[in-house]
Amino acid sequence: MPKPPAEIDPPPLTPPVFHILVALSEGERHGYAIMQDVASQTNDSLQLGPGTLYGCLKRMLAAGLVEESDERPDPELDDSRRRYYRMTTRGQHAVRAEAERLANAVTAAKTRRLLDAKAGGMA
Amino acid sequence: MQESTFVRGLARIYAVMLYAYPREFRLEYGGEMTQVFRDRCGYLARTSGVARAFQFAMFSGMDWFKTTLNERFAAARTSISHARKPAARGFVAEWAMTILMYLFATTTLVQAYVVPTGSMEGTIRVGDHVLVDRLAYSDPGAFGRHLLPYRDIRRGDIVVFHYPENTKQDFVKRVIGLPGDRIHLAGKQVYRNGRRLIEPYTQHIAPEVEPYRDDFPVKPEVFTTPRGEDMFHHHVFNGEVVVPPGTLFVMGDNRDNSADSRYWGFVPRDYVVGKPLFIYWSYDAPTEDLTEWSLSHVVDVTEHFFTKTRWNRIFQVPRYQAAQEAEAEQ
Repeated sequence: MPKPPAEIDPPPLTPPVFHILVALSEGERHGYAIMQDVASQTNDSLQLGPGTLYGCLKRMLAAGLVEESDERPDPELDDSRRRYYRMTTRGQHAVRAEAERLANAVTAAKTRRLLDAKAGGMA
Repeated sequence: MQESTFVRGLARIYAVMLYAYPREFRLEYGGEMTQVFRDRCGYLARTSGVARAFQFAMFSGMDWFKTTLNERFAAARTSISHARKPAARGFVAEWAMTILMYLFATTTLVQAYVVPTGSMEGTIRVGDHVLVDRLAYSDPGAFGRHLLPYRDIRRGDIVVFHYPENTKQDFVKRVIGLPGDRIHLAGKQVYRNGRRLIEPYTQHIAPEVEPYRDDFPVKPEVFTTPRGEDMFHHHVFNGEVVVPPGTLFVMGDNRDNSADSRYWGFVPRDYVVGKPLFIYWSYDAPTEDLTEWSLSHVVDVTEHFFTKTRWNRIFQVPRYQAAQEAEAEQ
């Protein structure tokens, strides 16, 4: 994909893509680990089906947000058929931009008293 | 081990269903998708029970339905934009595979229904096309009981069932009374076993209180059906209907305009088909067009598909709400 001119401001991410990137922020993961991580990140409120998970990964690979990794960081759980995914620099920019966007939305909601100061959690 | 047999069985069904994806996508990711599906089911079965694993399997089925379409259209787009030579297996054959898988799924696992009347209006609307889970309440038999999390019907469940007066028709209503429950209505208010029900899901469209419909059971001026008459004569004790064994007492959420157990009696348990899973299409059309096939309806759909389709209802899940029981008042 050619580098789009609006690189400074990456487009908004869909919730599944955002949470997959968050799951990959701590290192390389295979599909199942991503699914488990997304479920625990969101207190089971966002469940990824296998079709959504791999459909997103396919599009994220094409958009250069993630790449496949040859390394096997988890030798105990290793399965030669499993593919591991790693976040690219471009993916880091995208997830950071999205997190900022969400943070701004939360701040806006808080200033209008739509949200308790305590209940910061899910947007 | 029971659990692993159960998980293996689900994974096998899932692996077969993957044939609905475009070939390239399936070859690339199919193996891992099955693996992920099996891991997640196994994990949920171990940590939260078989019912939770089964729920995930149903969820993956819905996910499958949405993403097979996504991937098909994506594949169609790329093959058009790249102007490639057609693949060895043609376009038609590929789509035929997807449709075949849908047919398999829609005959054994789920069934599609259209809702033609407004008795559940407020929850399910006229013109909603719903997918019904046929396994949910079907008795899997002594063997299957160990494999599938067979859960019996609860009060507040929405069920699809054969209409007892004409079993060729299927109705959708909410379960109000289970066998042994005592039911009566006073001024539109339902009482179950002497407790007032707080039912957030109902809607009332008529302000006036009508005997029989809203104060039930009383002797009506005329019985609408023989089954209703039988109920009144044989199953009313002390001004309350008592639900006999092996049957259900059901009512529509649109209380003032619903032909339900009040009028035609109890639903035999065996007549229950399943539970509505989600709305896959909702189209604004009158009742006649949804029950009878007509050319004018087909023309109407083709002309107004985008404007009359109620997009916001698609993939909505009908609410399963149990009514709260107020403290015993009398």
